[in-house]
Amino acid sequence: MKEKDGISECPEQQVILYVEKEDGKYEAMQTGSYISANYLDDYFLKRGTLEKALGEKIARGEINAIEYYMILEDLTISELAARAGIMKWTVRRHLKPGNFSNISESALKKYSIVFNITVKEIVTRQSGNRN
Amino acid sequence: MAAHCESGSITSLLNHSGMKITEPMVFGISSGIFFGYFHKMKSFAFPTFIVRNKPGQIRKNLSKRTGVKFYTRDFRNQEAGQGALDMLISKGIPTATQVDMFYLDYVPSWERVHINVHFLVAFGKEGDVYKVSDSYFPNPVDLPVASMNKGRFAQGSMSPKGFLFYPEYVPQSFDQEKAIRRGIKKACFNMLSIPIPFLGIKGIRLFAKRIIEWPAMARDTEHLSHEVMKINILLEDQGTGGAGFRFMYATFLQQASDIIHKPELKDLAKELMAIGDGWREFSLFAAKIGKNRDLGDEKFKQLSDLLYQRAEKEEDFFKRLSKTIN
Repeated sequence: MKEKDGISECPEQQVILYVEKEDGKYEAMQTGSYISANYLDDYFLKRGTLEKALGEKIARGEINAIEYYMILEDLTISELAARAGIMKWTVRRHLKPGNFSNISESALKKYSIVFNITVKEIVTRQSGNRN
Repeated sequence: MAAHCESGSITSLLNHSGMKITEPMVFGISSGIFFGYFHKMKSFAFPTFIVRNKPGQIRKNLSKRTGVKFYTRDFRNQEAGQGALDMLISKGIPTATQVDMFYLDYVPSWERVHINVHFLVAFGKEGDVYKVSDSYFPNPVDLPVASMNKGRFAQGSMSPKGFLFYPEYVPQSFDQEKAIRRGIKKACFNMLSIPIPFLGIKGIRLFAKRIIEWPAMARDTEHLSHEVMKINILLEDQGTGGAGFRFMYATFLQQASDIIHKPELKDLAKELMAIGDGWREFSLFAAKIGKNRDLGDEKFKQLSDLLYQRAEKEEDFFKRLSKTIN
């Protein structure tokens, strides 16, 4: 790739690309991320749409707040179980919408660490979308 | 700043220890270039692919081929892990550590994903904040101790277990020609001869075959768009130097040509640059159709065709590279 073809304007996210300079040498060039420069608005649009759709599913009782964050963070049940240190079959049980109130405080704490949020945020997500 | 977190961290640590070596040379000697496609795995919510060798292999291969000895350690508990890192930093030893990128406060929200194999270099600590050099950021950044600990001790697949390393012995010199030849031979073997159907060139072909199934695997159009656009992120954005490391490997071949007195490598480097341009065409096309939600069957057929072309070109390329180096 020629140097001029790799240039993107994105001060928020810089990347290094290896490009062909004018003298024919291949060298590193610091520039903006192409996808962030051109499609970041689309990422936030999709994220917002997904959050809304999942929130509505909580309200309808189809999923609970644990599944909400699991889908949002692109995790599988296996991966969530491994990250939280909770048995997979227990996670499956926790994901059943009606079982949310039976999840122990310690399990909620483990999930909150995986999602990097507070237990209160999980509970509020559940109750907020259920009201 | 560097293209990739592992090769970039190693390069900066070696340069700091007095060894003059470039990131493409680290990547090439350690046979970093690769391809693997994973259609269904317990730890991934959707099919994905890799364009480099297994995390950790860059360090291990480089060590075998250059004689650099790395001090490495992982930990069962967080206190011991933090204590060891703090001690090394207090001795003035910049130390690389493995983290889950999700917990790094300085990373913008749209880049934060659960990836347990990100590497950064900690070089200082003031109070409850580490001073960190991250290859993906132009300037040093601050990282709170709590966030560093969450990242270093995240669980899940390929969990870091607080892993840290630094070069404890760096030779005055090493046989560059031998190291380069061994690195290229192994890269050619990895791309052409691993008898596993989803790795190397076979992996690119499998990707081409199975990408057609993606629409049926997505929750809805928005999800499919997200996954298709991630192709661009994995190839261009996640520390590859562009075109899924193909541009960086071409740079390595150009640099290696003079060292091992093989002018043919310069021509092959040029070819790989062109192959990389084809990967970039593929990734830009994916980003475009994802953004436009233009995700009909014919577009996936086009993506598949572009991948088959990459497989054919790379197979021919690595066969000739292998012959050149033998």
